[in-house]
Amino acid sequence: MLRICIAFVLAVLAGAIVGSIIQTQFNLAALVELSVPIPFDVRISTIIHDLIHFSPIFGVILVCVLIVALPLAYLFSRVTPVAERWWFIGAGFMGVLVGLEVVNLLAPMPTLIAATRGWAGLLAMAATGALAGWIFDRLWHPTPQELAERVL
Amino acid sequence: MKGSLRLILCSLTFSLAAVANASDSIRAEVIASGLNKPWALQQLPEADAGWLVTEMGGRLLHLAADGSQTEIHLDLPSLLVSGQGGLFDISLAPDFAQSRTIYLSYACGGLSANTTCLARTRLSSTPPYSTSEITTVFTALPLRKGAAHYGGRLVWLPDDTLLLTLGDGFDYREQAQNLSNHIGKVVRLQSDGTAPADNPFPNKAGGVIYSYGHRNSQGLVYDAQRDALWQHEHGPRGGDEINRLEAGENYGWPITSYGIDYTYAKVTPYQQLPGVEAPLHQWTPSLAPSDMALYDGSLFSDWQGDLLVTHLAGKRLQVLSPADSGWQVKHNYYPDGEPGVRLRAVTVARDGSIWLVTDGPDARILRLTPAVQP
Repeated sequence: MLRICIAFVLAVLAGAIVGSIIQTQFNLAALVELSVPIPFDVRISTIIHDLIHFSPIFGVILVCVLIVALPLAYLFSRVTPVAERWWFIGAGFMGVLVGLEVVNLLAPMPTLIAATRGWAGLLAMAATGALAGWIFDRLWHPTPQELAERVL
Repeated sequence: MKGSLRLILCSLTFSLAAVANASDSIRAEVIASGLNKPWALQQLPEADAGWLVTEMGGRLLHLAADGSQTEIHLDLPSLLVSGQGGLFDISLAPDFAQSRTIYLSYACGGLSANTTCLARTRLSSTPPYSTSEITTVFTALPLRKGAAHYGGRLVWLPDDTLLLTLGDGFDYREQAQNLSNHIGKVVRLQSDGTAPADNPFPNKAGGVIYSYGHRNSQGLVYDAQRDALWQHEHGPRGGDEINRLEAGENYGWPITSYGIDYTYAKVTPYQQLPGVEAPLHQWTPSLAPSDMALYDGSLFSDWQGDLLVTHLAGKRLQVLSPADSGWQVKHNYYPDGEPGVRLRAVTVARDGSIWLVTDGPDARILRLTPAVQP
């Protein structure tokens, strides 16, 4: 159980951090398209601001999504154990897609996370769910080959 | 038939028993209650003719001097009532006394393709009022998906052109910087909805754009004494603004803002940029300004020339006076005492009293006067 909890927490942390950085890039790209200068130091300070302030929000969404998606992935992986890793990756991806859709239905605004207004941003953010699913299964149920890998 | 439209609502509360707010030295009378999501209030020019009230659901009401409410039949073309969409503002034409023409802004279209529309119609001369000859004179383009951020405030300029604020549709914020459409703009129209020749961008978006870079503006007043146009708009999480509108200027959304997104992510790293008009006052955290009036009455003599701003989330009326670099809050008035009530609209009546409209279902109209008359 401890292994599951640690794997879950690390998966959420990784997804929230990567998701935050991704959405910052989409927001800044929209400004660059409007000819707004975004020098490197401004980009870095914006990433840091969003990591501190946005990633906890996305982390909460990931917790809600993965707490449903990962057990489902586990159930499906019992049917086809050889594809276990892919079930977790797919469940994380689909979970975030569906989760963001549900959030948008419940929230008063049309789209809560601005970066997901277009398909590219939505798929990129869903990919952070896939990453979280991969990290969870990699830590919770590593393959014999992965266990044999050297840590450093 | 017109008589059948006269609905003396049972829920009407016409209480002239004033509720004094001792702490503010302001007397508040409940003029009407039981309104369903009212948005705007317009006094009719004839003595004792009463008021017109819009409700977001599409109802236009006549509020008579005795406090009775009568629905005025109104059939707005393609009205959309959803989310933040519905019937918004009402404004009398400058020649209303002769033409009886009124203008109405509203959300139009369907959920997957909608926008802000402007219609005009004629109001009959005597009560019970009716409308006739309704036509849509302006449709903001392009149509967009969702039901948020329509703007919708109407103000006439001294040259008899009409300003209409248009929101960014929430999901289309970058378009507020795009001069080829009407999203996130203030447009200036002639009375027939066409573009005046002296608008700042005659060759773009039908020539109607007056200013751009707006998020969702629901407050706009023309200040004849200062020959200035004061506007406010909702920021996201923080960054509500008061601006002095000038033709052709960029007011920054979404490339500058004092606010951040609802998710706490930055919309933009910049609060100010060259070529962008900085706000004269900004509210962080947001109070959600919903309407604005310029006080030019005699009852509140200390407030002459001040701006009255109602707030939704802020649940108060604010009085702002001119300061060196913009506007400063001079007075907060909380209806029913703190924490207050969400307020949707404010208007100064001809007698100098201030009329407030509360927000949401079962809303009220309040009349404010000094507790001690001057």
